Amino acid sequence: MKTFFTVTLLVVHAVALAEGDPASRPADYDYDPPAPGSYALPVIKPAADGALVDSNNQPVSLRELTRNRITVMSFIYTRCAAAKACPFATRVLLQIHRASADDPAVARELRLVSLSFDPANDTPERMAAYSVLASKRPTAAPWHFVTARSAPELQPILAAYGQAVDQKKDPRDPAGPLNHTLRVFLIDRAGNIRNIYSSDTLDPRLVLADVRTLLLEAAPSEPRAR
Amino acid sequence: MKQNVLMNLHHAGRILRLAAAVVALCGFVNVVTTAHADETCSSPYLARIEGQEEFLYVWTLGVEGLGDGADKLVVIDVKPGSSNYGKVIYSHSVPGRNEAHHCGFTDDRRQLWLAGLDSSKIFIFDVHSDPARPRYVKTIEDFERATGGAAGPHGAYPLPGRMLVPCLSNAKDKSGRTALVEYSNEGNFIATHWLPTRDDARGVAGAEFADGYGYDARVLPRKNVLLTSSFTGGKNYMRDFADLAKDAEAMSHFGGSMILWDFHTRQPKKVFNVPGAPLEIRWAWGKKNNYAFSATALTSKLWLCHEDKNGEWQAKEIATVGGQGGVLPVDISLSADDRTLFVDCFGDGKCRVFDVSDPHHPRQIYEKQIGRQVNMVSQSWDGKRLYFTSSLLAHWDKAGDDNEQFVRAYAWNGRELTPKFAVDFTALKLGRAHQMLFGSTKVGK
Repeated sequence: MKTFFTVTLLVVHAVALAEGDPASRPADYDYDPPAPGSYALPVIKPAADGALVDSNNQPVSLRELTRNRITVMSFIYTRCAAAKACPFATRVLLQIHRASADDPAVARELRLVSLSFDPANDTPERMAAYSVLASKRPTAAPWHFVTARSAPELQPILAAYGQAVDQKKDPRDPAGPLNHTLRVFLIDRAGNIRNIYSSDTLDPRLVLADVRTLLLEAAPSEPRAR
Repeated sequence: MKQNVLMNLHHAGRILRLAAAVVALCGFVNVVTTAHADETCSSPYLARIEGQEEFLYVWTLGVEGLGDGADKLVVIDVKPGSSNYGKVIYSHSVPGRNEAHHCGFTDDRRQLWLAGLDSSKIFIFDVHSDPARPRYVKTIEDFERATGGAAGPHGAYPLPGRMLVPCLSNAKDKSGRTALVEYSNEGNFIATHWLPTRDDARGVAGAEFADGYGYDARVLPRKNVLLTSSFTGGKNYMRDFADLAKDAEAMSHFGGSMILWDFHTRQPKKVFNVPGAPLEIRWAWGKKNNYAFSATALTSKLWLCHEDKNGEWQAKEIATVGGQGGVLPVDISLSADDRTLFVDCFGDGKCRVFDVSDPHHPRQIYEKQIGRQVNMVSQSWDGKRLYFTSSLLAHWDKAGDDNEQFVRAYAWNGRELTPKFAVDFTALKLGRAHQMLFGSTKVGK
């Protein structure tokens, strides 16, 4: 298991280190991103609360991690080795993290969250090891690596965010033992979900344009009731 | 543990070489172990079936005096080797007749949304818990109020975490002036985007062609573009077709436009003049194939919307379907390799097959009589199986013996269509078979 864990981290680091300039125009995202503030991001739904534990094994509520800053939150599990899934999402968050280090306005208002949906394996200790990704940029936006105490505590969070996760029939699948939809959420300062990204739309240039669009908005309001 | 990892990171050269190998291996394994399949016309954001489809979901219009007379979701078993292969194994009726039309899965493939063109209701089913027996979840009842007056939800197109619902009409005057609407996967309203008109052009290029009509809406993520097409409003699609066809004034109220949008911002960028009601849109799948096909129902033409060598988007007529006189092409299906286009023609009940390997110069290579009327076609990802339905609209379907209602399945070998099974929806007292979607117990990412 330890070997597998180390290999997974290596995968993450490899894709992270291999990533290029977020300002470039890769073949999968062959367009120019829109100017921040030139478009609207309507409220999709409130960002739900839930009980979590951080990488120091301290309890933290999801509400604390989705209010008062603009939040980019990615659901992941560290055993995932599918090229266009969790390692990809983490790579994009890393690109955003790097970009925030060079933009004080973004760093001041943004936080990143990587939330595991595999609590049995993604312990606080494992999330702490994963958090080395964020450890070398003191001027960047804060990046939290969190997990749940148990599957029953996680389940209502997954349901509220519409994060589909299933066990694969083959637990030894080399891409990882879980089937899941890639979901990354953009959440405003008031705790409203304003965009949901999948692998086809998780272009760091678009995410940064969305973050800056929210920065240009007026003061935050309370989450919109549904 | 953390110390170990940090130590490893100090051996950067060795680690990177190993990691690169792991990444390459993971990519390779992912390709060779995961045979994703699906309908070729599905959204690029949709979770894919692994292997072959097992069920066919058929959104079916109720017929007064036939069975329970209600619209229903019908499930046909298409699992190879099943003792029920080609048979109806389940149906679930919804209240009344809503002009059942198109449907769509949420992007995680856990829910199926069924839209009613007349009632503007959307019925939501859980297809995840037991794909063979979809479970009714709820109905969006207040669509027209919630959306600010959009009406006639045409279907439901999955986007990440939300549904895009292109409409055909509006609640105010039931004309073709309409909108694109977004709902969350939970069924909560998000936004309405009215299609541009000449009077409300919003800076769109080609504003002189902006008629405000809608029909299909499909995204090419790689280019961040959304393409929409145009049909007609409730006053026309709920009217008897023979009567409508004699009314020149009413027949002038059909869409003649396609619109290219910036998908991320949902802002219309360019309107194309495409006369004759362009209906279904099919983007090519190839990584460098920046084009989409459509067919105009009233003028029987194939159209190509494409990015030219200067990066500008254009639309042009590329072929006539069925010679002179018009055959009412209503649905198209593009093979996953972008080489073959199947065109269903309601007028004469034929499926015409075009070689579109040169998308600018299609060439008809085959045609097959499917029935006395034919509407939708769904094609498997491997191109070997095609499924057809019969119903266009309750008031537009043919009368008497010509009003066959069916699902018919065929095998395609690259040269001809061979029958596999047929289900008679009239004999089974089910109704008018309209759109089909594939279901399975095996869904990947």
